[in-house]
Amino acid sequence: MKKYMVKLLGGEKHQMLRISLFAIVVSLIFGVVVLLIIGNNPFASYLNLLQGSGLAPKRSYAGRKNMFTDFMNLLDALTPMIFASLAVTVALKGGLFNIGVSGMMLAAGFAATVTVGYSSLFAGAAKPLVLIIGIISGALVGALIGWLKYRFNINEVVSSIMLNYILMYVFTFFINSYYVDPVSRQSTNINDAARLTIVDFKAFGLKFDIPLAFPLAIIVAILIRFIMDKTTIGFEIKAVGLSRTAANYAGISIGRNIMLTMILSGALAGLAGVTYFCGYVGSIQPGVVPSMGFNAIAVALLGCSEPIGCIYASFLITIISNGSIYMSSQQGVEIEIADLITAFILIFSACSEYIRMYVSKAAMELNTAGEKKGGAQA
Amino acid sequence: MEGSEYIVEMKHITKRFPRIVANNDVSLSIKKGEIYALLGENGAGKSTIMSVLFGMYEPDEGEIYIRGEKVNITSPRQATKLGIGMVHQHFKLVSNYTVAENIILGSEPQNKLCGIIPHVDIKKANADIAALSEQYGLKVDPTSVISEVNVSTQQRVEILKMLYRDAEILIFDEPTAVLTPQEIEYLLEIIRGLRANGKTVIIITHKLEEIKAIADRCAILNHGRLIDVKDVKETSTSEMARLMVGREVSFTVDKTEAQPGGTVLKVENLTVCNELGLEAVKDVSFEIRSGEIFALAGVSGNGQNELADAIAGIKPVKKGRVLLNSRDITGMTIRERIEDGMAYIPEDRQKVGLVMGYSLKDNLAIKNYYNARFSNHKIIKEEAFEEHGDRLINAYDIRSSEGNKTIVRAMSGGNQQKAMIAREIDMNGKLIIFMQPTRGLDVGAISNVHKSIIAERDRGAAVLLISLELDEVMNCADTIGVIFDGRINKIAKASELSVNEVGEYMMGVSATGVSAKGGDAE
Repeated sequence: MKKYMVKLLGGEKHQMLRISLFAIVVSLIFGVVVLLIIGNNPFASYLNLLQGSGLAPKRSYAGRKNMFTDFMNLLDALTPMIFASLAVTVALKGGLFNIGVSGMMLAAGFAATVTVGYSSLFAGAAKPLVLIIGIISGALVGALIGWLKYRFNINEVVSSIMLNYILMYVFTFFINSYYVDPVSRQSTNINDAARLTIVDFKAFGLKFDIPLAFPLAIIVAILIRFIMDKTTIGFEIKAVGLSRTAANYAGISIGRNIMLTMILSGALAGLAGVTYFCGYVGSIQPGVVPSMGFNAIAVALLGCSEPIGCIYASFLITIISNGSIYMSSQQGVEIEIADLITAFILIFSACSEYIRMYVSKAAMELNTAGEKKGGAQA
Repeated sequence: MEGSEYIVEMKHITKRFPRIVANNDVSLSIKKGEIYALLGENGAGKSTIMSVLFGMYEPDEGEIYIRGEKVNITSPRQATKLGIGMVHQHFKLVSNYTVAENIILGSEPQNKLCGIIPHVDIKKANADIAALSEQYGLKVDPTSVISEVNVSTQQRVEILKMLYRDAEILIFDEPTAVLTPQEIEYLLEIIRGLRANGKTVIIITHKLEEIKAIADRCAILNHGRLIDVKDVKETSTSEMARLMVGREVSFTVDKTEAQPGGTVLKVENLTVCNELGLEAVKDVSFEIRSGEIFALAGVSGNGQNELADAIAGIKPVKKGRVLLNSRDITGMTIRERIEDGMAYIPEDRQKVGLVMGYSLKDNLAIKNYYNARFSNHKIIKEEAFEEHGDRLINAYDIRSSEGNKTIVRAMSGGNQQKAMIAREIDMNGKLIIFMQPTRGLDVGAISNVHKSIIAERDRGAAVLLISLELDEVMNCADTIGVIFDGRINKIAKASELSVNEVGEYMMGVSATGVSAKGGDAE
């Protein structure tokens, strides 16, 4: 048993990745057990998740829809998730725990919706403007949290949770007072010109959504990785994240880097906000904060707090959440089962450090046993 | 071997870690009621073998006998049951608990309130501890809070913790590393008292004088192997040193007369506050010329940390000025001071001096990564980092498992210290502050550090050496300043002061009429 664990998860190369995969596989096995207990066919259920996400063909499709439609829908949901998990990742690198991604998303979504979303600007100007407003409003909220931290030493966890609520209630007030759609009880849908997702695009006899910002999400992830690993900006942020006292001693400005980290994190959360509210959804539901901002924390951890890891982790979690609706309709499985599987994955990925320790200890024991044999021969 | 004679017998103990054999077939036999010293360089395996005895590590091979019975010690809790106690190098105390609460923690005397509700009988604990401290001559106040007592008291609390649990075999891991000469004397007296009370004491150290002063027998370890066990009375310190290092070592530092030039650092009426807002450095003035080693002697906690941090720009200055090459740097940032040629080796390498989660190469470049040499338009030149790292690794013999990519946390303390010293010396600074540079280093490494301090002086740097080791001060200094209670109460040429005089000033005896303000270097 130990031997196989070591073989599977030991060594240095891609160890974190293999441990994440291990966490996922174990979680899926747990999911199988739960599905069996409640009397469902686990494999059919898992297949439904893939089918719902457009990764496997369904038995039948509605008119002008097929697997590709579902897959594009997956990408549409994936885009904000990548941005949100990158926001968490950047903050973690700087030693900060950004729980305020939800509030930042809301701020960005609201700002872009009321300024550009209801304007009559043409698409070529409106769409970039939505992105820019998203970046700026997210960054401003981030800057506020960073400033409170650096100037008054207010813990970023506390201030960002509080800001989530403050922003949510403020925007709820404005939406309910000025922008509410009497039928949906949400904010009025934004104009198509400003929307970052082209809805119901018709081509090849199909109807599907195009998330315009998806390529941007991939590019930004690569860019963040570059900044963090290859530039002095990342070198400073990580040094401050690892040890504030040592970074300060080495002449690195702590305040500047805390501000920078939170502004960067906020800007990414802002991008998540506009791609979610002005892309995937198209409107804002008053009275709630988007749960994606919290899921992003878990996704970032599953992605080993690495930008590229965030893409994979977002992909996986979005498959499960996006496919769960189809699973529930086909199998009669409660939609919450999908959340349960996600929760398993997160618990196991949170244990990754423990697994790593266990493996290295086991490897050591095996090594010594091997050496003993060798020694006896000599 | 007669089981009755030896209280502890460790037979053929081998303990391996990845890439290193910490103990290789080590056998120790310790008699009841003796003081047994374990001597060896950093990484010789002294702490490991004692951790095995205390149940923190399980040996890969070998057997342990306690009072003649074979035992299998798997946890410190079990070791405690067997009457083994250990005082670690870094104390394990709850800082906001009282002395008594710390001592009883885990084996609290209980009392039932109204015969039902159990609660800790702190009165009984206080009385017990007072009695215990009386019996062994360990002065503590059971009701004072740990964070408010000094290091040597904290150590006595650790000793009482063992005695409270009826330990008979007491292990001390480098107990004198944090103490002043006077405190060391007191501790040695305590240890003798423990022996008089029938306790067996095992002391891990690399200080030869202490072994000579108290130990009965001494086991010498080198590279994980037991070299020899010597009767201390019949062995000279130089013989022990030779066995420990594996070669002859000289205890004195070779240096020529100082050739001081112009003033590099000038500190004027400096007052600095500590974390609690109390004045830790009070109206201190002194100056250091280029080519001069100014050694600041003093008992730990008399403002040395605050003084060094204030000069380096880490702590704000309350009053006074700091001038570097006649330029007022009091309000400057840390980076500006580094760029002006100030190098600083802080006392706490793990918290301050190094980013423990960074690789060796990143740590070696952490003060100049932004220079054109290491980056271009903010883009890091990876090869430059590696080249720089490899050069320092070779020049300063920094050992690590994965070369320049080793994460510093995985390196030994001695090599971490070497890395920090290498980085700072390589900066070619005009002023170098050495704060406890040889703390935790072994004899061989210490003499290397002393050589580099003197080489820096001869290069023309001004050196501020802050040390708790009186020998180090006496050996290296051109000028000696003594700090007591935040004030420098004596500044004089090294040749004009004897060890005893410095020791007296360190204890605040300034009755000889020296003004508290401190004079110039005559």
